[in-house]
Amino acid sequence: MEGMWAIILAIPYTLLVTAGAFLVGFLLAIPLALARRSKVAPVRGVAGLLIDLARGIPPIVWLLFIFFGLPLLKIKMNALEAGILGLGVVSAGYLAEIFRGGLLAVPRGQFEACQALGLGGWTSFVEVISPQALRAMLPGLATYFIGLIKDSSIASVIGVTEMVYTATTYARNSADGIYTFFAAAAVYIVLSVPFGLMARGMEARMQVSSR
Amino acid sequence: MADTVPPGRYSGKRDIRTDAVNYAIELGAIEKTFAGHQVLKKVSLRVKQGEVCSIIGPSGAGKSTLLRCVNLLEQPDGGNMVVAGQYLAAGRSHPRRELLQLRRNVGMVFQSFNLFPHLTVLENIVLPQRRVLKLSAEEARERGAELLKRVGLAEKADAYPAKISGGQQQRVAIARALALEPKVMLFDEPTSALDPELAQEVLAVMKEVAASGMTMLVVTHEMGFARTIGDHLVVMEDGAIIEQGVPEEVMTNPSEERTRKFLSAVNR
Repeated sequence: MEGMWAIILAIPYTLLVTAGAFLVGFLLAIPLALARRSKVAPVRGVAGLLIDLARGIPPIVWLLFIFFGLPLLKIKMNALEAGILGLGVVSAGYLAEIFRGGLLAVPRGQFEACQALGLGGWTSFVEVISPQALRAMLPGLATYFIGLIKDSSIASVIGVTEMVYTATTYARNSADGIYTFFAAAAVYIVLSVPFGLMARGMEARMQVSSR
Repeated sequence: MADTVPPGRYSGKRDIRTDAVNYAIELGAIEKTFAGHQVLKKVSLRVKQGEVCSIIGPSGAGKSTLLRCVNLLEQPDGGNMVVAGQYLAAGRSHPRRELLQLRRNVGMVFQSFNLFPHLTVLENIVLPQRRVLKLSAEEARERGAELLKRVGLAEKADAYPAKISGGQQQRVAIARALALEPKVMLFDEPTSALDPELAQEVLAVMKEVAASGMTMLVVTHEMGFARTIGDHLVVMEDGAIIEQGVPEEVMTNPSEERTRKFLSAVNR
């Protein structure tokens, strides 16, 4: 029973790592995705390289680099911050590609209509292109977010006291430790299923307005 | 027009009102090459103020490319032009301010309508007015509603583009372009994606716009429109203008064999 309580108390950390990493990834992914579409070839190349680095290195390695490596450069952060940053970097790589796909889904005619009407670049992006790209990106974003809820458990290796860390600790000190993992599994299901349903609901709503 | 000029204004001087024609569009030796293929071969064309100029010709003739050069959706590789009084030379990049000025003066209607699907019909017309003309929301809505009435779609203001027919979408697109009070309107095969029946309602709106004195450059396959509404007819083939003149004359008595062939093919 104690184990159950420990898991429940760890839920906020799981959510914090997930939401924090998603936010960091989202913010980093916007410039990356735009740079991928740049007219300047070197800018495209550098953005592509960064995306490949973010996605190509396993998340666990990113976390170890950031948590144990950055202090060597006199950049200190606690486990939670390192976990959010590390998973955020990985997310940036994936989200940038999801964004790029979303932008590709917006027909060329929409960009041309903006140009022909004399709408500025910022207005076009914010008011015309992004809402349409977002609609195309929604399934990908939801899938990634659900994946991230589960991947947040990787932060346990650097000592973030989220659910898996807590379950592991508890299991080491008790005979029926396996049950806390069942509890953690149940919580992951409870967290991810509603997000999936919500995303499907949002998609359906958005389609009503466009189709 | 001449009698509206204040008397004596030009007294003693050569009367420029009668012998100088005002051109809304002047294209000089416009060239465009796509991947080694020359799509426009030094095309020159003048469109008078208030004139409806139709461009016809087989597909691949460069009609749409020429039209898109006028508002610089396509950058010409050579030549120069004056559009609504603005001089633009090819072969250099145009500063933002210059592009925005050009597009303030030139409205465009696309074959695929290109309405913004996430906005209602009225919002489609309101957005550019607010951002380009900097009008208040209230004023933009008021003018938008008026324009929708003009194209016969007042009752569709709150519908999303996907909920109305192609013909209605195109009429909204015309209203959206008109909302910015352009001096010139470009139409890129505005009825080609429509059933004949729906095309007619779009052509009716275009006829009304023409009657209002708008300068129009229209790439079209609608020979009826070109003949009855058009003031000037341009026949293009293989990146060049092969013949032009009064529509009725060009159509009934073309001087070029290639024009004759094209006309007989479309009138079949």
